[in-house]
Amino acid sequence: MTRRLVGRYLVASTIILLASGLLGVLIRESQAGIGTLPDNTWYALMTAHGLGAFLGWAGFAVMGLSFWVLEECGLELRRIGRWLAEATWWLMVLGVAGVLISTLALHFAGSWVFLYPLPFHSAGQWGKWATAIFAFSVLLAGLSIVTWCLSILHTIVGPGLDAVKRGIGNRLGVALGLGYLWPKRFATASRPVPYPVIPLTVIGIDMIIATLPLAVLLVEMIVQAFSPSVHVDPLLAKNILWFFGHPVVYLLLFPAVAVYYTLVPKLAGRPLVAGNVIAVAWAIAVVANVTVWAHHIYIDYPDHSHQATINVLMQPTTFALVIPSALSLYSLGLTIYHSDWKWGVVETTLFLGLFSWLTAGLSGVVNATIAFDKVVHNTLWIVGHFHQMAIVNIGFVVFAGIYYVLPNLYGKPIWSESLGKWHIWLTFIGVNVNSGFWLWQGLNGAPRRFAQLPSGYEASTRAALPFVAMIAFAQVLFVINMVQTLRGVEPRAARVRVDRSLVAVEAAIVMIAIFLALGAGVGGFFLGRATGGSHTKTVPTTTATTPTVGSDAGKSVFASAGCGGCHTLKDAGANGAVGPNLDQAKPPLARVIDRVTNGKAGMPSFKGQLNAAQIQDVARYVSSVAGR
Amino acid sequence: MAGTDLTILIAYGIALVLAVMITIGVWLSTRSRRPVDLHRLAEFERRWLVIVAAVLVALLAATIWFTPYGKSTPANAQIVHVTARQFFWQVKPSTVQAGRPVAFITRSKDVNHGFGIFKGHRFIAQIQVVPNTDSTLIETFQEPGTYTVLCLEFCGLNHHGMVASFTVTK
Repeated sequence: MTRRLVGRYLVASTIILLASGLLGVLIRESQAGIGTLPDNTWYALMTAHGLGAFLGWAGFAVMGLSFWVLEECGLELRRIGRWLAEATWWLMVLGVAGVLISTLALHFAGSWVFLYPLPFHSAGQWGKWATAIFAFSVLLAGLSIVTWCLSILHTIVGPGLDAVKRGIGNRLGVALGLGYLWPKRFATASRPVPYPVIPLTVIGIDMIIATLPLAVLLVEMIVQAFSPSVHVDPLLAKNILWFFGHPVVYLLLFPAVAVYYTLVPKLAGRPLVAGNVIAVAWAIAVVANVTVWAHHIYIDYPDHSHQATINVLMQPTTFALVIPSALSLYSLGLTIYHSDWKWGVVETTLFLGLFSWLTAGLSGVVNATIAFDKVVHNTLWIVGHFHQMAIVNIGFVVFAGIYYVLPNLYGKPIWSESLGKWHIWLTFIGVNVNSGFWLWQGLNGAPRRFAQLPSGYEASTRAALPFVAMIAFAQVLFVINMVQTLRGVEPRAARVRVDRSLVAVEAAIVMIAIFLALGAGVGGFFLGRATGGSHTKTVPTTTATTPTVGSDAGKSVFASAGCGGCHTLKDAGANGAVGPNLDQAKPPLARVIDRVTNGKAGMPSFKGQLNAAQIQDVARYVSSVAGR
Repeated sequence: MAGTDLTILIAYGIALVLAVMITIGVWLSTRSRRPVDLHRLAEFERRWLVIVAAVLVALLAATIWFTPYGKSTPANAQIVHVTARQFFWQVKPSTVQAGRPVAFITRSKDVNHGFGIFKGHRFIAQIQVVPNTDSTLIETFQEPGTYTVLCLEFCGLNHHGMVASFTVTK
């Protein structure tokens, strides 16, 4: 029964992967200037892509695999647990569907972190219903997380845990692995708690704590959509968002660790190399996970607020969270060390996943350090970091889980092991190179969440596209393989086992190739930057002929004062949609001078920011080129 | 790239090379199945914890002093008022002098924005601009020229078009 349930989680999350992956390809192509999307569509797709891929694919999939892990540990879902697991599945599916409707159909484009109060300032792009439906959908996904936590905890504290004492607190202590430190106090009858149970207990407890405040904020947002007088302090809302937003990252990582703890020893043919000290790491995790959120808002430090103090205190707690990862990588790496690791598709996937955990973890340490984060915050560096973490670490656990579980689940062997390896290697190379470009662009000041990047990054963005295509192609191979497997097609004959040393050499070559490809991309980036335009403004400069004397100066004032942020003016390459379209309005000289000097309605006065000559210049420019 | 971003690149590059070497080491080890003393390795994990903790404490001690927080506005500072709205900046005055500290007092009139200062592709400084409250960024510019302001917090439809510039004179 549990197996059928796990199968449904895996199928639904894979469908969401394909949908949200497609959206990812579309926005990346648009950014590179191929199939350019309208701005709001771009941001709406980004919103759907982020939530879909993060929660609907990776989160949903590891939530499902967790039930399988518990069963492997001898902890069966009981009636309430099973009921909660069913509810979790439906809540998540409905939540993801609602997110898709509110973004793709109702144009909600507040990004997947829906930073309050942005959902209520849509610049005329989406309405209150879109905001309400979006908030409600995220609320459903949040409730899905809570029911999952309850289901997991209910299963863990069941009879399979083997705890001697009956108290619920004591049983949770046993499940957290405290018996490894205090064997008498947290005693078990026949065996210590299996290692995979520990991270699941940690995240089960933490996600309940982390999700409830966000649920309150989401309810407030639904209310505010219809009664605008209701408000929340924006800084408080930011803290609440990230109080959830950090632990939800570990809603992906910790169950993934549980899967590693389950599969790696099985495949290495020996028990997990773990000292009692691993319980210390997880005890740190359960506390630190809910006391690190401010590292997402290191750059927030308003005058007369306590935010800076909170931020400084949370750098050490964030560092403490490195410890469970460092110890787990130690344990898992040494479990494989000199073992009979067979390098089938599951083993390869897990191994590459562990490697990615290490590398993505290292770029995470950069983000965790205030002195570094102030440089990389909200640049593409962050995007590179988390795509690596999400796809080739967490995602690879999901793929390994599917490749391992599916044959057992349906009693049908994988159709083609070698096709599986192609899937994994192409994804691994594609994601690492693509993320490498992002990391590099971020260090070179490229901002994230830009529908159109500033000029100067075109070459590197285009160079990444083949690797995006490679990732997409690899998932097609995956789907073909899975469909054939589920149809029960006779497995393709496995290749004759090659010498292991050859495999190792092959791997070394592939690794070198990745770095060469990365080097080529970086070279291309420099070449592109050397031959491309300078990085002065976001709007692409057009090559229109200069209409009148003095309009060059006016044009640069138009760009530097940010007029294009609100107004459309073809000559300046500006396509703002907030204020009047200047090409249509064709304002005469005197009116432009008056509006820029004194402002009107939503438009502020620019007196004081621009001097009289600059206002003259920009007015002459606008009145001469508008409508052309 | 120069300064902190270069430091990050070098540190991450070194860490990456080490990570690849360790990975290849474990990979090659599986060529020969050999009984290893699992118990001893598990015991050694305690020492590994100490090593990791020591590295983290060292990194913390080396970096925690370089936060952008708690700077008070110097007496000789040039005050620049920055107002952010969807989707433009007002930077008043838009000319400052090199060599003297500048206090950018930023405030948003609508949603969260990010006041990011660039010189060409080179990132200079940033601060989150929060609605209805002042956030002050203090920065001293040595190099005269035109500096670009980009929005570094997603603020909606024309977030990427929210550009401004200011001039630093000698």
